[in-house]
Order: sequence, then C-alpha cells, then structure tokens
Amino acid sequence: MSMSRYRYLFSPVRIGPVVARNRVVFCAHLTNYAEDGLPTEQHAAYYAARAAGGAGLIITEEHSTHPTDWPYEKLIHGFHPEAVPGYRRITEAVHRHGTPIFAQINHNGGQGSGMYSRLPAWAPSPLADPLFREVPKEVESGEIAEIVASYARVAEHCRRGGFDGIELQCSHSSIVRQFLSRATNRRADSYGGSLENRARILLEIVAAVREAIGRDLALGVRLCGDELVDGGTTIDEAVEVARMVERAGLVDYLNTSIGVATATLFMIEASMHVPPGYALFIPSALRKAVELPVVGVGRFKDPLQAEHALDEGHCDLVGVVRGQIADPDFAAKARRGDADAIRLCLSCNQECVGRMGLNRWLGCIENPHTGREALPRPPAPDRVRNVLVVGAGPGGLQAAISAAERGHRVTVLEQTDVPGGGARLAASVPNRAEFGDLVRNQVAECRRLGVDVRYRVTASPEVIGEYGPDAVVVATGSVPAPPHWVPEGVPGGAPRLADITEVVTGAAAPSGRVLVVDELGFHQATSVAELLADRGCEVEVLTPGMVVGQDLGVTLDLEYWNVRAAEKGIVQTTDSVAMGLDETGLQVLHHPTGQMTAYPADWIVLAVPAAPNDALYFSLRQDGPYRVHRIGDCVAPRRAHAAVIEGDRIGASL
Amino acid sequence: MSDLAPAATLLTAWQLRGRTARNRVMFGPHETNLGRRRTVSDRHVAYYRRRAAGGAGVIVVETASVHDSDWPYERAPLAGPGASGSAGGWAAVAAACHEEGALALASLGHAGGQGSSAYSQAALWAPSNVPEPAGREVPKAMEDEDVAAVVDGFAAATRLAVAAGLDGVEVNAGQHSLVRQFLSGLTNHRGDGYGEDRLRFAREVLAATRAAAGEAIVGLRLCCDEMAPWAGIVPEQGAEIAAGLAPHVDYIAVVRGSIFTTWATRPDGHTPPGFNLETTRLVRGAVPDGVAVVAQGSIVDADLAERIVADGTADAVEMTRAQIADPDLVDKLSRGEAERIRPCILCNQTCQVRDARNPIVSCVGEPSSGHETEDPPVLSGSIRAPADVLVVGGGPSGLETARVAALAGHRVTVAERAARLGGRLCTAAAGGGRERLALLADWLEAECRRLGVTIACGREIIADDVRAHPGPVVLCTGSRAGRPTYTTEEGADVRTAEQVLSTPRGELPPGPVAVWDPIGGPVGISVAELLAGHGREVALITPDLLVGTELARSGDLAAASTRLLQAGVRLEKRSVLTRVTPGAAEVQDRFTGEPREVKADLLVDAGYRLPDDALWREAPEAPRAGDAVAPRTVYEAVLEGRRAALDLVGTGIS
Repeated sequence: MSMSRYRYLFSPVRIGPVVARNRVVFCAHLTNYAEDGLPTEQHAAYYAARAAGGAGLIITEEHSTHPTDWPYEKLIHGFHPEAVPGYRRITEAVHRHGTPIFAQINHNGGQGSGMYSRLPAWAPSPLADPLFREVPKEVESGEIAEIVASYARVAEHCRRGGFDGIELQCSHSSIVRQFLSRATNRRADSYGGSLENRARILLEIVAAVREAIGRDLALGVRLCGDELVDGGTTIDEAVEVARMVERAGLVDYLNTSIGVATATLFMIEASMHVPPGYALFIPSALRKAVELPVVGVGRFKDPLQAEHALDEGHCDLVGVVRGQIADPDFAAKARRGDADAIRLCLSCNQECVGRMGLNRWLGCIENPHTGREALPRPPAPDRVRNVLVVGAGPGGLQAAISAAERGHRVTVLEQTDVPGGGARLAASVPNRAEFGDLVRNQVAECRRLGVDVRYRVTASPEVIGEYGPDAVVVATGSVPAPPHWVPEGVPGGAPRLADITEVVTGAAAPSGRVLVVDELGFHQATSVAELLADRGCEVEVLTPGMVVGQDLGVTLDLEYWNVRAAEKGIVQTTDSVAMGLDETGLQVLHHPTGQMTAYPADWIVLAVPAAPNDALYFSLRQDGPYRVHRIGDCVAPRRAHAAVIEGDRIGASL
Repeated sequence: MSDLAPAATLLTAWQLRGRTARNRVMFGPHETNLGRRRTVSDRHVAYYRRRAAGGAGVIVVETASVHDSDWPYERAPLAGPGASGSAGGWAAVAAACHEEGALALASLGHAGGQGSSAYSQAALWAPSNVPEPAGREVPKAMEDEDVAAVVDGFAAATRLAVAAGLDGVEVNAGQHSLVRQFLSGLTNHRGDGYGEDRLRFAREVLAATRAAAGEAIVGLRLCCDEMAPWAGIVPEQGAEIAAGLAPHVDYIAVVRGSIFTTWATRPDGHTPPGFNLETTRLVRGAVPDGVAVVAQGSIVDADLAERIVADGTADAVEMTRAQIADPDLVDKLSRGEAERIRPCILCNQTCQVRDARNPIVSCVGEPSSGHETEDPPVLSGSIRAPADVLVVGGGPSGLETARVAALAGHRVTVAERAARLGGRLCTAAAGGGRERLALLADWLEAECRRLGVTIACGREIIADDVRAHPGPVVLCTGSRAGRPTYTTEEGADVRTAEQVLSTPRGELPPGPVAVWDPIGGPVGISVAELLAGHGREVALITPDLLVGTELARSGDLAAASTRLLQAGVRLEKRSVLTRVTPGAAEVQDRFTGEPREVKADLLVDAGYRLPDDALWREAPEAPRAGDAVAPRTVYEAVLEGRRAALDLVGTGIS
C-alpha cells in the first residue's frame, strides 16, 4: 500500500465548519451544462462522478448573482429562485458520496456584454473589456448596494440548495476583481482610489453573504494573485487584500488564481507549453501572510505534484480540475496506490477549455464519458464476442478498451511496431510530449483489461478471417495525400517536397529554406515549423487563412506560438494559397489581391488534409460472416477526439 | 407620387400548385436561434405569426435537418416526430400563418460538409472528402447507404411537414447544403454515378420529396452561382441545373454563394442590392412558365421588389431582412404608406446569427424582432394622461424615445445640440459602404415629424432646463471621445473617427494616415476604406492577428480584409499604439514588444468612447438611454430609447 507516498494529500483538513477528507479540490470551472439558466441533471451526474472518485472538496461552476451578468449563454442564473431545486439535485448527488460541495457565486461585471441580457454590462469604470469589447456602464452607488445584496440573495439560494459552503469568485472574471484592480477601477468615490476603497465592495459582500448563510456554511474568497496585465494587480496587493479578508473574521478559506479570463486566459488554463506549478507563488505568498487555509492551482495533473506542493508548504489544498475532468477517479486511484491507473490529463485543452469558448458542453479528448455522465450507457451485451480491432491509434485502442470493459475478448492488430498512430507523431515535436500521455493511458488501460495487442501484423481479409471474429473494427487511420497542385513529376530544380508526417518520423530531413504550407490550422504546421527552426532551417509558414494556426486560439496556444515563432525567426504569411510548384519555387496566390508570387525554397513541407486509409474497410465490406465497423481517420481524417469518441461508441455498442 | 402604383404587381396574388399566395412577398428561410434545443419553438411561432400578421404572402420556416447526421448549429431544428423534432412546432406555425392569411412552408436541408461535428460528435457527411475552408474539417465521403438515408430523410420530413398542415416544403440546395455540394465540381469529386451525373442526387431528393408531398408545394432553393468559376457552378450552369430540376418543383428561389463565399448569399451594405438579378433572369429564361422563379438577395426596398416582379425577372421576391426590420412591410405597402416602412439598412449586425454564441435574431432598428414573446408591444394612443416629454439628444436613442412616446400620445420635444439629427448613426453612414445607415435616422426623424414631435436642432440643454421642465426628461446625450491609451506628442494631429467622418474630404490635412482600431468593429474599417478611397496612403493598426475581428458575425470579416488590401491599405496587425508624434505612429508588437514606426501625418482614433454624461451628472434624477449610459451600437441605443419611452407610458401595454 503506497499511501505512505502521500503524507499530506490524503490527510483531512478543516475549512470553517466543514471537514474535507483530503486535499484534492475539484475547483470551479465552466461546463456549459446549464439550460435556460438552470442547473441540469448533467451537472449533478458530473459532480457526483468526481465525488464518487474521491475528490476531497467540490466547488461548482459560478452562479450569477444578477440579471446584468450574462456573459455567455449557458450561465447558471443563481438569482432565480428556480435554481434551488437544481442545486438540491446536485448537492444530494454529491453528498451521497460523503463529499462536501461549495457553490461559487459571482458577477462578471464588465467581462461580459449585453448580448443575452439586453442590458448594459456593469463595471466599476466605463472601460471596455479586451475580449467582449463593449463599454460597460459605470455603476452608480445604488447599484453597488444592489450588487452586494444580490450576492447575499444568491448565497441564500445556495444555502437552501444544500451547499456546504460558498466561494466568492473575486478573481479572474469578476466585478470584485475589477474593483480591486487599478487597471479597471478609475473611480473617484469611496470605492476607488486607495486599496482600502477598492476592497470596500469585497468586504461588504463578505459581510452580507456571511449574514445570509450564518455560521453553518463555509465561506471562501478566491483572489487573483497576478492579473498579468499592464497596470494590474500583482502579488503584493493580493497579499494585502488577503490580510484584509482575514481581519474581517468572516471567511474560512482563500482560493487563488492567476490572470484575467478575458485577457490572459492562456495562463489560467495553461496548456502543456506552460510548466506545472507555475502559479504556486500565489498561494505560497498568501499562506505566509494569513492563517486561513489556502488553495493552490495551476496544471496539477499528477498526485505527486500535488503532494509536493503541500509538502513544500505552498498551499493547504490543491485544485485539480482538468486532472479530474480526464479521470473522475483521480483521487481514489492515487489513494489506493494505483496512480499509474490514472488517465493523465494531457493539458491539450482541446475538448475542455476549447469547447467552453465556443459555447459547447465540456468534454475531454481522452475520456468519452466526460460531459455525458447523465446519459445511460448502452445495454449490456447479450453474449461475449470476439472483437478484432485493426489499428492501434487512439480510435482503435479506445474501441478495444470500451469493448473489453463490456466483457468482450478483444485483439488489436497493428501494422507498425508501436501504438498510438497519429497521436504518437503529434507528441514527438517540441513542447508537445504530454500529448503522448494519451497513448500511454490507452495502452495501460488495454493491458489492465487484457486486450491482446499484436504488433507488426498487416491485416487483410485472409488474416482477419484467421482470427474468427464476430465483429471487426477498422481503425486504420489516414495516409498523406498530395494536393492537386503538386505536379505528377516534380520538375528538377524545384524545391523538394515532404509531408509533415515524413518530417516527424525522420523519413525526410528538410534543410535550408523551408516553406510550410498550412491548410490544417492547428498544431501540425506550427509544430513542424518549430522543429525545423530548432534544427537551423529558415522557416516560413504560409496559410490560405487569415491567421497561421487559427485553431490554436481555442486551445490557448496562440499566444505562446507567436512568442516562440518570433524568437525562432519563423515568418508567418497569411491569405496565401499554394497553386503550383516549379523550378522558381512554390507558386503562391495572394487571394485578396489576386497576385501570384514565386517563393523560392529548398523544401516545401505540406500540412494538408490527409486521405482516409480505407482500402481494408472496402475490401472487407462484402466478405465475411462478421460485422464490419469503421472509425476515426479512416472514415475522415480528423483530430484525436473524433477517433476516441467513435471508438467508444462502437466499442460500447458491440 | 402615387401611393399604390409602386407596389401594384408585388401585391397581386399568385398561384403555387393550386394554392393562392395573397402577394409576391416571401419571408425566406434563415437561421434564428429561436429554437429550444432542436425544435421549432413557441418563439418561432410568434416570430412568424408577426410577419404573417404584417401581410407576408409566403413564409418559409427556418431550415430543418432531414436526418440526424446533420446538426449544423446548436439550435438547428431537426425534422422529426415528437417533442424532440419540428413537427409540433410546424403545426403551430402553420396554424398561426394560416390564421393571419399567409402560406407557410418548411425548409428542408442537410448542411453536409458545411455542417458541424461539435454537437453530433460524428463525422460530417459530404459527397467527397473536401473540407470546407473556414472550418477545415474533412467530411466522410458518403457511402451508398448514407445517400439513401438522406433521400429517405427528405421524404420523411416532407410527410411530416404536410401532416403538420404546412402548405409544402422548400428543399435547400443553396448555401450550407449537401444538395449543392453534390451539384458542384468544387465539392463533388466522386467517381460513381453521383459524380458522373452531379444532378443525380438532387433529382433523387426532389423525386422523393415530390412523391411525399402529394398535392403540397415543393420549392427549391438553388445556388446558381458559386462565385468560384474554376470548379464551381457558374450562372449559365446554374440555369441548366434549374432547367434539369424544374420538372420536380413548383418554384425555384435563386441564390448564390458557396464554401468560399458564405458571406455573399446575404451580404451587408457593401454589396449593392440587385446583385443576383442577372442570374435570376437566366433561370427565368431556362425554366418553363409553370415553374415560378423567386428572386433573393438584399431585396429590401419595395420599389426594387416591384420592378423585379413587374419586369418579369421573377414571379416573387424574398424580402427577408426587410421584414425582420419591419414586420408590417406589406401592410404599409397595401395602405400606400411605403415611406413609413422602417428601412433595412443591410448592416447584418443582429439579424445574422450563425455564430457559436447562439445570438437570437433581431434588428438594430426593430429590437423586438426575435423577442416577440417577451417584449411589450409598441402601441399608439396607449396613455390617458399625455405629458410634455423632453428628449435631450437627437441620435437614434433620442429619436426612438421620442417616436414611441409620441406614438403613445405624449407631447414630445427633441432638443439636439448639433445642427442635424441622427447622432453617431449619421456620422457612421459617411464611412465606406455604410451609406444605408442614414436611412434609419431619416426614418426615425420622419416618423417623429409625422407624429408631431417638436424638433429643435442647435439647442443646448443645461441642468436648469431639465429641472425646469414640467414633464419627464430623458437624456440621450450620446458619447464623447474616449481617453487615449497612448501618449501624444505636441504637434501631432490626432482626431477621432467621428471627427474624420464628419470632415469634408478636402479639409483633412494631406499626407499618410494611420487608423488606430483596438475594437475591430465596422467603424475603424470604414474610415480606413473611406480614406483609401480618396487615394490616400492609409495604415490600419490593430492589436489583433487580423483586422475587423468583430465583423465575423455580420459576414464582413474576410470581405472587409479583402477590400482593404485591394485598396492598398497597409494592415499593421498585432500592434499596439504607444505614441503619436508629428509624422509617425509608434507601435509595439503585441508578442515581442518590439517597437516600430508607422508613417502618419494624421492619426485617426477609432477606439472606445465614453458616455457624454455631463448633463446627467448635474441632473442625475433624469433617466438615460443608449450611449449616454455606455457607448455601444445602434441596437442598444434604439432598444433603450424604446424602453425609456415605454417606462414613461407605463408598462407599454394599455
């Protein structure tokens, strides 16, 4: 039993009137599970799964305190009394597992717009938010009182809803932080100017909420330790505010965060390019200044990292959000000494963070059940079947896992000598290694479930027939496909051509001046560009789009891509379509102006759509006594999540 | 000017498969986001009923997906029986429209490769593996059974629509349609019978639809110009396709645009109305007389509509945005009050809702559009005790306040400081391609005058006037220049966009101009476009990676960038303005901090503004509306002006 590895992580902690059984917190984060402003069954099932999986404390996503606060469509309107039954459903489901649950309440202030509310956004000063780009209304003094009262009213709704505590989000997207920060508070009245004045609304809210909930519920304040914006709050003032909060004597714990959600979100929900623990300086500084328990956050994906943060005294509790989105049993597995079984978060941000900004429900690239907890699983199979999966990429392995979980006998045939398919290649470029955890997690899961993975086997109808399967899942992935403008025989003297997969496998080694043609708009082109620049190539990325790596925006990778590209001297050229190739170079059309230009180069690297590798599927269709299914890139080359989802869908339905 | 003659032909009845439409004005299918989940909702019913009550001849309901492989946007209706589909909603729409004297049709579609996998989490279906350029997702090339399923889906949906009491269906082969993708060489690269004969799929769909429709109407929305002549449908082919498909249908609505030109189907004011009429005439000439032809495309003026039907270009016209702007368009025409129709200004700011945030369809001039179930009606003569109302400011919010108050029966005076009415709406109308904005200001003024509002231009109101006024006062004082976020050296010429837009061409200083646009909305773009149009050297500075980021929703994002580049405007992207000197704008790269100079004898600031609330600060008891609260768009100005007037009236409901 390796519990001894965790001296602190699984020790109980008192938070005011509440005792958490361990230090693992599922901190507040958006889910977009609300409908018509109300919490849903999905909320209850989602939080209950993490409670069942051993989380020490759960803090729900924010509940809005006031009708002027409606920045995104699927926000829970805590100010509606109709929210209370939904709250009860959540708290009852979580309490069944003995886990305390707090509600986060908030007003996003000027970090919003009137798009849904059809009202002016409210803020300390009429300064437009950098994301929403709408000038808010400078709140009048009567409106400040209304905001304070609205927090108390919503806290009372939460108390009736059965929550064990309330957290006030005064951090990355909150009118309270906007009051606290000189960058957003330009007021000349008693709510602006000195720190005491800027903190006035916070202390008024704390007092009003404590009054509303009494002493039986815990009350916490989440503070931003560094806004990472010009003229914004930094750690010194955050520490001062923490002291003020403690002196008020009404608060039981402090939570922390870094950044401003609408300006520096890439540091709040940092992707794998930012090292873990990057935000620990905040709880560390607060904890030195106050006696209250302090929660630390920032890309904790491994229980040992969390243990170290506690051991080193940075914090008293550790927020593990994405880690528990990916694996709801994160805490339970660590506690029972089975940390290797944890489906480690990749910090890829593709289906969690990436879906939030697009108004979609929260999911996970490697956990097909995340976001679907409330849906019934398909009925149990009537008999055990022999399932043969062709291809050990993310889709094939997930199909094998989901089928084996239901008791089927599963064999996977893989043509190469390694698992992972395209995911393994994606993880082999600079700063993307954690993507490889997807493969590690799946292979480990297959091993636990007794899936027989055979390498260096090329599947054909004959080979498949020898296995006598009841069902065959074809997951053969994709193959590079040269675009139409590449001539049959590339003329002598023209730049040499390589596909991105050839570059990452080492089959091609471009040198000199390299043009990367990006028609995919995601990590592929930018990763390869970085790889080649690191090897000393002179790299230019061309895209027909208006931005290179446009989809890096949703995963919050665009900021640092641009920083790194500048450091590495990578040139980015937009609005440009590759049209042909000859001895003068790549022929490029600047489509807004119609201008054709020859780009001389030594190498052209293609990041263009691949073709489905579907020959086996079509050769099987008419044969055999078994059902044939096709999933993932051999249906249509897409991203890993599509393969995982389809793998699970088929694997679970056999 | 004769009253009835302008719409003499437009208002005549016509026959569609034995059913009589009372006039030739159609309300075409369009996305609304009024659905609840994937249903046609009560909000849809109220929205369509309002247009039917206002006199529309034929109403085509928002396109419903015919098969569950299609879920193009979150609230896209799904044709299906029971609570989860459209059938219940269709019956209610049919009943409402029939009660009000209009015919009602279901639009049926499948978005194919132009859909989204975000909600279905399954591969997109398309003729071939051709990704749509903006989304870049590779679709699945449909197998024969997929083709059959979609054909069956059209038939099943048609049966449901007819059973729900609708007068028929319109099959979508226009923008966002699988049927068009099969028709086009851009997207259909199949080697089978559906590729050799690209009309085959459309014929099968229409034959199945026709058979299922019985004696109900079958229409076809057909793209006849993909504006991609290298492989797409050109108008001559469009006419041939129309002729080939005509035997199956009762009418053809002629539209344009495809995967490369989604903006072009319902463009904003930068495209002059009438752009589709030549193609429409080709189609009219190619199909038999028994098949009606419907014209579409920015037909927002009654006189153009009348010309189209009078000269035989088409048998009917879609006036969709015109009836979002004024649901009573037909009634006003019938009463000979064409000048009273609230104009559509082709801004696309709130009626275009294909956006991940799911905004609800509305109109900047008629903000109750789309909100029929929640907004109080604006009624005439709804008060018993008329008051003397003083409105300070004659911009859109002031004029709307005055209009609605006068309509209710108050005696209203508008005091405007400037020499003319219209405020920033008229200023903005001077920007490139935005001339039509002035029409809304003109209309508001004309309505006010018709209603007997006293208009006093050149009259400054001070706090004493407000206090001395015997009746209610509403402050609609608009905005003023914002606080610069950069420093200005002595001798540098810095002006606001508003100043430049209101300065006659010859009176601006010569030399290069830089426009600072931290917002990415229409104002900065239009100033740059205007000045470049005058032959000046212009640079547009934006902190974003592309210019005009806020134009995505109106559809002008890519188009604006193209126009600017063609006009020779230099796009200074990812740059933050730090200092203005005589002769230069100093900027910093957003990612590297590297400084550089942009040549500029004049710096135009198109940044955020502040409320002009000086009067309110002296007389804070008076209510405010629009920019005086917080500078935003004309939508909020009109909405809040209307609310201010309704607050005077009481509830707005007599």
